[in-house]
Amino acid sequence: MSETKNPLTDEVKALVGMSAEKVEASPPWGIEREGLRIFTNAIMDPDPRYWDDEFAKSTKFGGIVTPPIYCSYIGRKTLAGVEDPISRAFRENPNSDGIGGVREGGADRKGQLPSLPTSLKRILNAGNEIEVYKYPALGDHIYSQAKYHDVKGRVTKDGTAMLVVTTQTTYTNQDGEVLCILRASTIRR
Amino acid sequence: MVTADELRTKKQTWFDDIAVGQEMPPLVIGPMTPTHLFRWSAAIENWHRIHYDQNFAVYHDGLPNILGQGSWKQSILPRYLKDLCLPDGWPWKVQFQHRAMIVPGDTITVWAKVTGKRVADGLGLVEMDVGMKLQSDIETCPGTATIVLPIKGGRAVPYPFVAPKEA
Repeated sequence: MSETKNPLTDEVKALVGMSAEKVEASPPWGIEREGLRIFTNAIMDPDPRYWDDEFAKSTKFGGIVTPPIYCSYIGRKTLAGVEDPISRAFRENPNSDGIGGVREGGADRKGQLPSLPTSLKRILNAGNEIEVYKYPALGDHIYSQAKYHDVKGRVTKDGTAMLVVTTQTTYTNQDGEVLCILRASTIRR
Repeated sequence: MVTADELRTKKQTWFDDIAVGQEMPPLVIGPMTPTHLFRWSAAIENWHRIHYDQNFAVYHDGLPNILGQGSWKQSILPRYLKDLCLPDGWPWKVQFQHRAMIVPGDTITVWAKVTGKRVADGLGLVEMDVGMKLQSDIETCPGTATIVLPIKGGRAVPYPFVAPKEA
């Protein structure tokens, strides 16, 4: 019986520290009220700092701001004028799960990290780490840059090979100020 | 559920008044419904069918029901910490794991318990265990957080936040 090899190969190790292209995460018009209203309703946060101009001006933020990690969600939107990714995904695969085919050709492929060179296909969410420094304000343009922060490999007692992959995405505004840093860890098995 | 007026008039929690072992006021959300889940999917344009298409979730993916989104949970913990810090503190750091599924019918209690406190560069850092418990007491999102609360008579918590060098 052959022994399972640690999946942390030199090719995988070489990706640690590699950064993707820095891209604008916000739509071309920047942070705007309607997107903010839809988002804050969905997290059920009625905070007037998100919608009441007069009150928001009186706070330490000096105006309308967004929830702490709002900037990490705005880059997922399909922009107007592109081929509808949902129609395309279901045309190509009537059993689409709504993720793979929709995302692959979508606008959110910009700024993605290269795929990890591994045969381990199953992906499990292992946790998230968030640091917050500033809230985006109305009109801000948000930029994101992802990198491979860390990759660990091991073989479990039952012989299962796995990688724990941590990616880090840093969000900045048009002035280069860091807004928040997200680290997401996944287990590949 | 907290109201807009409660957030508008929230009194500051001071570093000085926090004790290790103290439980912070929880945030209760729910019961969650398929409509709540669908609203989140639409808000962030996450079209994964396991979150709104029950036939797909159950018969294709073998799940017990449609599932609450990890991305939703990820946004709720920072939102809760923000509320704890208002008006002049700062929800600096949080880390957590996704342990259990949230499905329609679940009520979620977001909680925090103080595990330590220290002063760094004149800022009051409060360490906490945090999580999101279901009505069955199952913990879906265990983690830890560091918030910064103002010290009475101390310097203001900077905005934008600047991490203390000693931390």
